[in-house]
Amino acid sequence: MKKQNAAAKRNASKANASESAKVAIRQLPTGVRGLDEILGGGIPEFSFNIIAGTPGCGKTTLAHQLVFANATPQKPALYFTVLGEPAMKMLRYQQQFSFFDEAKLGKAIRFFNLAEVLVEQDLDAVLAEIVEQVTSVSPGIVVVDSFRTVMRNATNTASEAELQVFIQRLAQFLTSWEATTFLVGEYAESEIKDNPLFTIADGLLWLWQVTERNSVVRKMQVMKLRGQASVPGLHTIRIGDNGLQAFPRTLGLMGKKTTSGRRRRLSTGIPELDTMMGGGILEGDSLIVAGPSGTGKSALATQFIAEGLRQGESAIMALFEERPQGYTDRASGFGLDLKKPQATGKLEVLYLRPLDLSVDEAMQAILDAIERTGARRLVIDSLMGFEMALAPGFRTDFRESLYRMIAALTGAGVTILSTVEVEDSFTAMPLSHYAISFLTDDIIRMRYVEIDGQIRKVMVVMKMRGGNHSKDIREYVITDEGVVIIGPRETDYTGLTTGIPTRVGKREDPAPETKATK
Amino acid sequence: MREFAARLMAHEAAAARSADPGVSAAFAVPDRMRTQIATLAGNGGHRALLMRTLALAGSEVSWLKNSRVGADGHLKGPNLSVVPVDPDEVTKGGIELVAQLIGLLVAFIGERLTLQLVREVWPKLPAKDLNFNI
Repeated sequence: MKKQNAAAKRNASKANASESAKVAIRQLPTGVRGLDEILGGGIPEFSFNIIAGTPGCGKTTLAHQLVFANATPQKPALYFTVLGEPAMKMLRYQQQFSFFDEAKLGKAIRFFNLAEVLVEQDLDAVLAEIVEQVTSVSPGIVVVDSFRTVMRNATNTASEAELQVFIQRLAQFLTSWEATTFLVGEYAESEIKDNPLFTIADGLLWLWQVTERNSVVRKMQVMKLRGQASVPGLHTIRIGDNGLQAFPRTLGLMGKKTTSGRRRRLSTGIPELDTMMGGGILEGDSLIVAGPSGTGKSALATQFIAEGLRQGESAIMALFEERPQGYTDRASGFGLDLKKPQATGKLEVLYLRPLDLSVDEAMQAILDAIERTGARRLVIDSLMGFEMALAPGFRTDFRESLYRMIAALTGAGVTILSTVEVEDSFTAMPLSHYAISFLTDDIIRMRYVEIDGQIRKVMVVMKMRGGNHSKDIREYVITDEGVVIIGPRETDYTGLTTGIPTRVGKREDPAPETKATK
Repeated sequence: MREFAARLMAHEAAAARSADPGVSAAFAVPDRMRTQIATLAGNGGHRALLMRTLALAGSEVSWLKNSRVGADGHLKGPNLSVVPVDPDEVTKGGIELVAQLIGLLVAFIGERLTLQLVREVWPKLPAKDLNFNI
């Protein structure tokens, strides 16, 4: 036993020793929203990185965000400009972004132009100049923009071996001086194999502008990052007033699931529909309301939101078709006030129609609104409008993206009502164009039927994942109170789902809305 | 902007303890700003900026038309012993030159960064003088 204890102690002390010997790599924030998550926490300190991509994809803006996020007078950033874009030009444009802080220029962020040394001398002189500046400033961050220009200029006079030696010496020097380095350059993907720079680099961030039909979207990939697990794949990026913003593919999936235990049933604001649904929608469910244009999907969605507001819950409406004003006006026609809750912050109406939208951006906007309002109910009106707002390249992945988005939002305990427009067929009753019913817990189908020379409306609860529900096809009307489901019919019909039913009983029911007599 | 330029020239003359009313005094301010501007724009960019400044100022003060930007980035003026110019005109030319140079900087990098650059060059310039509007 004693021997065993001694061995255990030895192993424990070995484990402690190896734990304490393990180097802790500090991670620097990028200053780019969403990018730290993609990188697995941030940029590893003292790493030697490449920011590569085609012109106009945001490389310099990214470098500036990194610099402004990390530079301090004690650990300044040294920004070497080369040919092409001198500091003055950069400052002119970069000061338009919100991250730009002119107070940092001079002491915390210093620019140095390498153009003359590069043009008039050789790589040794360039390295000597970098060494001199770095030695005198002791920067925490070093950027060379564009490093590609340095190399391209040098290829005329230096051999490939000399170029490799230059890169090697530069990397060794900057890392030894405890600088985190970013070499910015316009590279093509085909160069990855042969360029020694990519072998030496610890991190390789690749930025793209992808053109498809008339749309252009920006994307980013972490091709390489030593020492930590980054999120693989292409992530959407957008350049806005705050500079670059990245939308990780894992957006929303990393959050905690909050739906557990017994879930409440939420009222739709239409008592008869709640009864049809077995008491209402289960909290955290995703409900799809499918039907052709004019059947009252948006009216039903508005009632669902208004009911939540009545019960003190916050809510979000993500609109992709109708403008918010039209929505608010219609609600007002039903006696539902959406203006006041918007003014008090209980309701946010998001009108998401930027050019070339991605699902991730829409999800980020919704998640931000949830964070701000604490919303428990969300309406997406409509999925088709959402799809139309997406850049063509994102439409291909719409179903997967939507699945991810709905899973993330319902996982956060939000109950979602999405509307889907479907065309009425007079032989079948399709649920939607996308076969997306797999991503929804509950489905309500609305449709037109022809009865007694009138086009009337019926609805049915097709699916309730969380319990039993009514199988009745119920007629409803849209009045000044919104969607109103009328009482069960006395007259029996068959073939209602085809849209042209046949009466199989006596005519007992009067028309729910007056028929013309003249 | 001309008032600001005049203050800068006066400050530079006081700092240099120079009462020289000649061309070198008129060019002293742009010369002092050379390092900072070259850091931001490169030597080539600095030279281009001075050439534009000279072109703009030369249309207001004629003797500046006989000035040029040297390869080293310094302004070279006419020889006043050969081409005499009224001392007031020389001062006026200096002010115009500085005003145009500062104006260009403001157009490119904005007022705040231009003032920051000026402060870097003349750290002792009183804060009240760092204002384009007085």
